[in-house]
Amino acid sequence: MSAVAAFELKAPRDRSGLREQLAGYGFLAPWLIGFFALTLGPALASLYFSMTDYSGMSAPNWVGADNYLRIATDDPRFWTAMNVTFTFVLLSVPLKLLFALAVAVALNKGLRGLSLFRAIFYLPSLVGGSVAIAVLWRQVFAGDGLLNQALNGLFGYEGPSWISNPSYSLYTIVLLAVWQFGSAMIIFLAGLRQIPQDMYEAASIDGAGRSRQFFKITLPLLTPVIFFNAVILTIDAFKAFTSAFVISDGTGGPIDSTLFYTLYLYQEAFINFRFGYASALAWVLVLIIAFFTAMSFLTARFWVHYDD
Amino acid sequence: MTTLSLSKIQKRFGAAEIIRGVDLQIGSGEFVVFVGPSGCGKSTLLRMIAGLEPISGGELSIGGKRMNEKAAAERGIAMVFQSYALYPHMSVYKNMSFGLETARMPKAEIDKRVRKAADILQISQLLDRKPKQLSGGQRQRVAIGRAIVRDPKIFLFDEPLSNLDAELRVQTRVEIARLHADIGATMIYVTHDQVEAMTLADRIVVLRAGVIEQQGTPLEIYNRPVNRFVAGFIGSPKMNFLDVRAVASGSNGLAIDLAGSAVVVPATDTPAPGEKLSLGVRPEHIRIGESRGLKLGSLTVVHVEHLGGQTIAYGRLADRQSMTVALEGQQRIAAGDVLDICTGPEHCHLFDSEGRRVDG
Amino acid sequence: MVRALIYALLIAVSFIMLYPMLWMVASSFKPDNEIFTSTSLIPQDFSLDAYRRGWTGLSVGFGQMFLNSLLISVLVVIGNLFSCSMAAYAFTRLRFKGRGFWFALMLGTLMMPQHALLIPQYVMFLKLGWVNTILPLVVPKFLAIDAFFIFLMVQFFRGIPRELDEAAIMDGAGPLRIFLKVILPLSMPVLATAAVFSFIWTWDDFFAPLIYLNDIQNYTAQLALRTFVDATAQSDWGALLAMSTLTVLPIFILFILFQRLLIEGIATTGMKR
Repeated sequence: MSAVAAFELKAPRDRSGLREQLAGYGFLAPWLIGFFALTLGPALASLYFSMTDYSGMSAPNWVGADNYLRIATDDPRFWTAMNVTFTFVLLSVPLKLLFALAVAVALNKGLRGLSLFRAIFYLPSLVGGSVAIAVLWRQVFAGDGLLNQALNGLFGYEGPSWISNPSYSLYTIVLLAVWQFGSAMIIFLAGLRQIPQDMYEAASIDGAGRSRQFFKITLPLLTPVIFFNAVILTIDAFKAFTSAFVISDGTGGPIDSTLFYTLYLYQEAFINFRFGYASALAWVLVLIIAFFTAMSFLTARFWVHYDD
Repeated sequence: MTTLSLSKIQKRFGAAEIIRGVDLQIGSGEFVVFVGPSGCGKSTLLRMIAGLEPISGGELSIGGKRMNEKAAAERGIAMVFQSYALYPHMSVYKNMSFGLETARMPKAEIDKRVRKAADILQISQLLDRKPKQLSGGQRQRVAIGRAIVRDPKIFLFDEPLSNLDAELRVQTRVEIARLHADIGATMIYVTHDQVEAMTLADRIVVLRAGVIEQQGTPLEIYNRPVNRFVAGFIGSPKMNFLDVRAVASGSNGLAIDLAGSAVVVPATDTPAPGEKLSLGVRPEHIRIGESRGLKLGSLTVVHVEHLGGQTIAYGRLADRQSMTVALEGQQRIAAGDVLDICTGPEHCHLFDSEGRRVDG
Repeated sequence: MVRALIYALLIAVSFIMLYPMLWMVASSFKPDNEIFTSTSLIPQDFSLDAYRRGWTGLSVGFGQMFLNSLLISVLVVIGNLFSCSMAAYAFTRLRFKGRGFWFALMLGTLMMPQHALLIPQYVMFLKLGWVNTILPLVVPKFLAIDAFFIFLMVQFFRGIPRELDEAAIMDGAGPLRIFLKVILPLSMPVLATAAVFSFIWTWDDFFAPLIYLNDIQNYTAQLALRTFVDATAQSDWGALLAMSTLTVLPIFILFILFQRLLIEGIATTGMKR
């Protein structure tokens, strides 16, 4: 998108009078206070905590890299959480992208009722993060829940309790995430509208049929939007919390099958009060997200088409 | 040798009729220009020929075969778009080869054609670039190149020069004319610029409100516009129109009342005495300070433009009708001057109150 | 033909997607035994009993939680609009030393995952004695902590012609006056978008209230609902679904009212939820 252009400030640098300096810093003051007190300070503090045994009660003791070593070598629950989170990311993100793209392409055919469909598909993304929907999901996938009632009614099939079965529980949360493909779809729709109509006219004079137009024109021209969506969805998926928390009663169960990374982080910090160790976990997550984002940008030039 | 024929072609969008029964025959190798004000339907007509707009009524045939239902790619045409419509993610080479690859032409043949077209258009050194890296004029050439490689029977141009600056526009115009001379294909060209129409066309088709007003060679249209609309549309500066009244028809022509004085203009038609008419005279056909010719009256100059090669004076006649005069060379005229103006009888165009030409 | 197929598919998918939510609303009006025996969207015995049980199901009534949520959300909206518009104005319209540097830092905070800041922030609010009050949820918003909204407003302010500022300067207006009388009145669309998103995100937020609010008196509706799951031990599904419906209701109303704003906001900025 045009985010890069937006990152540049246009107006020239200026050494104007004291009045302007004062005005500038005056208007910026709330943000500046917030930046130092709530972002920079905490970031440094958290780096420091991560190398201590801080518990919130007693003063922190310096332990060096011990927390990080323990994460890497001596914490099976960390690896469980990694496993759960990566499974979730690698399943939910591609499925979401696929659904969002497919529905956006279908809606972009100039159908009647576009705005109604768009609203219907968007609604789940708007409410999906709330506790209420997680509660609903628990009901739907419970042993005597809506899904099993429907399965029983339609096929006479007695389904298991999807939520409390460790083989399925994670997939119900994946499904909940995929159910919220709406906002990605809206971004795809906006992207599809950016492709000029005469591109398709030129292609039809060049003899390209529908599928060739899709794969040779639509898809390549949409790659910046696909990339944007993929990066944002991936970051969001790594940070997923509420649904897993509510569905598993905050435990990450059954038997840690829904122990999302953020859930584990929460438990270590606010249940077990291991602030030092949890800070190290937080920085590991930051590094993982940063690594994935950096990798995305590195591979982008091989498949993303940029206009300029 | 007709290659393209339109018969009673219609286009409707809902209740609105955009093209209202157009009949047109275009010969093989002809350069035809559709010209008209915006909204006249010229682009729609072109897009119907291209196969980008469905035809609501009538028949389109190319090379004797009905084409109404044929897909754009099967009509043997190529099109140059106003915006060029170059694929932004493909190189210049890919842009030109895309259609041929779609048609599954052998690689070697594609390569030969692309390189030949690039050679003709002098864009061989640009083949690996993306459209964004090209100047406006270069993009224009690529768009034409994409049309050339298809080796079409008919080229369609939709206002192809409107995104270029003035200098490039003239240059490209000349190149399109040369291209037509070189490859001899039929070309249909849409523009609202009457200079492009006059310079490029074998035949001009003037459209207004979905109807052909007149078709003919550029000079036919310039010399004998069939109605007031065409007369005003072709020619720059615009033709002057003066309100006159028919007085009497005689053997040597028609006497008209022009601002109180009677003048005689050649006419074979005989409008009734007293009928309101419009006398059209092109600014470049008006002379000053001569005793010969047909006197138009005294012009009080309001404003003068000195173009160097030409002097254009705007003024009013005694009865306050406004008039533009285009004089060759540099004339010493200033606002406030009063000029006696006249023209040759052969340069007079008469139109009746409906705008139709009164023949002379 | 193809078109009809696409329609059929779209209608089927939208039905499947909406069905759980519709069923939730319908079930909240059903007597308990009907919830587990009927997948129907129309209650056979229409009853408000579940709402009555749910409303009073916790030691503190749900009404209190809704008020808490409303108060927090409204304060957050005010805080975001106030602080982010000021920062965006400074970044786009005022010239001062270090502006480019601060702007780059602001963009950097957009990428910064909040998890790494969480524990020190908690410790700080704990030391300030703010834990178990709404202050940790509200005060940061008055300090422009949601850089995303700054970014959104920067984008919008850049579209306002600078000539308008210059005309105001010629008329003798200073920065504050230009901000209040020229920029803000012209920025209603972006302010509205930011307000609606702020409200919805705050209303829906679960994590921050979970950490900072301990006393049930102070709970937000989301937190109360989650506690209610424990309290009922999932036996009173009717009451749970009724309260779930109520907590989603404000979002749903905002969605109906501001649908266009929300969708355009997402489309133009790639904003997420």
